[in-house]
Amino acid sequence: MLLIDQLVKRHGTRTVLDHVGFEARPGRVTAFLGANGAGKSSTLRILLGLDRPDGGTALVDGRPYRSLRDPLRTVGSMLDGSGAHRARTARDHLAWLARSNGIARRRVGEVLDQVGLASSAGVRVGRFSLGMGQRLGLAAALLGEPRALVLDEPVNGLDPEGIRWMRGLLRDQAAAGGTVLLSSHLMAEVADVADDLVVIAGGRIVRTGTLAELTAGYDRLEDAFFALTGGDEGAHR
Amino acid sequence: MSTGGLLAAELRKTVTLPAAWAGIAVAVLGSIAITVLNALTTRSAIDAGTPERVANTSAFETAFAAMPLGTVGAVVLGVVVISSEYAANSTDAGGGRQITATLAAIPRRVSLLAAKATVLVLLVTAVAALTLPATAGIANAVIGGAATETVTPAQALVRGLGGTLYWTLTGLIAAAVTLLTRSGLIAPIVLIANSSVVSVSLLLTNLTPLAHWLPDLAGRRLFTGVDTVEGGLAAGPGALVMTAWTVLLLTVAAVVFRRRDA
Amino acid sequence: MAARAVAAELDKLRTLPVVAFTLIGTVVTAVVIAAALAASGAAAGAPSSVVELVLAAVPFVQVGIILLGVLPAGHEYDGRQIATTLVALPDRARSLAGKTTAAAAVVGVGAALSIGAAFATAAIATHVTDLTLTADRAPWRLTGAIAYLAVIGLLAHAVAVAVRHLVPALVAMLSLMVIISPVAAGLTEHARWLPDRAASQLYADTDAVLTAATGPLVALAWLAAIGTVGALRFIRLDP
Repeated sequence: MLLIDQLVKRHGTRTVLDHVGFEARPGRVTAFLGANGAGKSSTLRILLGLDRPDGGTALVDGRPYRSLRDPLRTVGSMLDGSGAHRARTARDHLAWLARSNGIARRRVGEVLDQVGLASSAGVRVGRFSLGMGQRLGLAAALLGEPRALVLDEPVNGLDPEGIRWMRGLLRDQAAAGGTVLLSSHLMAEVADVADDLVVIAGGRIVRTGTLAELTAGYDRLEDAFFALTGGDEGAHR
Repeated sequence: MSTGGLLAAELRKTVTLPAAWAGIAVAVLGSIAITVLNALTTRSAIDAGTPERVANTSAFETAFAAMPLGTVGAVVLGVVVISSEYAANSTDAGGGRQITATLAAIPRRVSLLAAKATVLVLLVTAVAALTLPATAGIANAVIGGAATETVTPAQALVRGLGGTLYWTLTGLIAAAVTLLTRSGLIAPIVLIANSSVVSVSLLLTNLTPLAHWLPDLAGRRLFTGVDTVEGGLAAGPGALVMTAWTVLLLTVAAVVFRRRDA
Repeated sequence: MAARAVAAELDKLRTLPVVAFTLIGTVVTAVVIAAALAASGAAAGAPSSVVELVLAAVPFVQVGIILLGVLPAGHEYDGRQIATTLVALPDRARSLAGKTTAAAAVVGVGAALSIGAAFATAAIATHVTDLTLTADRAPWRLTGAIAYLAVIGLLAHAVAVAVRHLVPALVAMLSLMVIISPVAAGLTEHARWLPDRAASQLYADTDAVLTAATGPLVALAWLAAIGTVGALRFIRLDP
């Protein structure tokens, strides 16, 4: 379970996150929706212990991420592409990650197979396309067979077949009792895969609820999203 | 895009890079800091009646001792102008590099390289126009009439211009090497180390006089004036040889840049 | 647990091509410079010894060691790998300890290999050329030279951790070691307190004030100071 509570983050005088709070529960796919710059990535970076909040807490199974032993076995995550150095091969990248968390070396080959990069395992990451980089990021997230997945814009750069595969992966993870938190600005994708929705605009949570609750009274999720965020953004301008 | 527009775009791109300002700061502020230290040391030696403690009491020579830092600044600018294009930004996989956007906007690669070289020459010249008078002024203010100036204003001007040329050519060589290797590591190592006392070129002169024809040693007379090394090329021919090296390296880089995939 | 951080960092260095190139380049530099020094000494008719030839090559070798020292931390910031590293090892202190241990290992290996290569080259070269040999004095200086290079490499690592950028860290370290230090030494006797001048007492007892014992202590103080700044930035700041 992922619990975000009253997060505040400021960059100088600008408030990026203003008391952001929500939870992502086991067995469900939670989608974190918002426009570019709404605060999705900032929230996920704090959840993953990369950035420090100016207030509030983000907990993984009741503990801050930074206190986790072998965090890759608890939470698999992907932020913004592969996160690998351009000069390293995909296999070497996953190998050092596995070593850092005491994950069996065989997992490297398994996840490369799983994301469809087995034939590119020896290619340097700098030669990868955007979609391949994304797949490598996913392979890293799956490496430690974690119960929770935290994915920032996971379908970014994936081809139609990759998007369908990703949808299946996320549903399977939730069906097996895992927790899935993904951020996205692609409404159609989210409507197809999410159980719960969290909508953020201008650094504030404007609505949380199930997919059915949020779309009630609207034709499409997209209409609901603009109805929810439009007023808020107007107030900020 | 017109030539003027291309130049303006490249200039804007370069001066909005923090690393470019780091290079400029090293050249300007670093040189000023060294000059202040040097001038104060010289002045105190003169006042104490022991001018033989310092190598030279001339205000101009005191200021000119900071020249190597300008070389560092020029190398940084030369590297930055190119390497910023190849640095990965939003993603680590392909497609995330500025070079893709740049080449989409300006597909004529040789014109692009020419514009970059022009911007580099402008920036290095501007840095020199700021640094050299500033350091000379500071050294003069600190040492002032306490010592006799051994360098005439005409000599000072010629050596200032020579130093500017040396910086400019070094910056251009750094850009060419960075473009050829697509790495920002090689040019600083070779050019900064070689412009110092830890110079492989200098060591090579002990083995073969041909080493005097290497770009850094050929241009050495441009600003040293004093014969720090025996033999070698005089300032005029040396400048020609160094310029020839620069043109050669830029041409090779341009040909490679034009042929290879971004 | 800390062993995993070290093993992961060593994996990273092993699989980064530029590290291998730098190691090879540094050793080749050591060989070429030692041979060139022997040849130029023979040509000039200046007497020398194997140990002195090796020690004269140290300032050149240090350039490669500086790059080797900058890479373990610097390459993390060449792209976005630093985020991956910190997600995998969120304990900043442990992560930095692992990285520093790996950096120490790679600069130590680089220093030992290059001094060894320079020694072998100088030994052969003095036989091949008609260099006038003087008696070798104090062979322990060779160990001192390895220690000096290791200190310089660790200093480069500390600078890279503090600067958090690859090329700027390299330029800063190179400028400090090969430009500012020699220029300052020509200007003022206080230059002896600079880290490289102080550490050089490990292999050259040229200084009037610092000795082979106090010189390295001054260098270690620099290392501690820059290392503290770097560690605080690494632990406290968002990447």
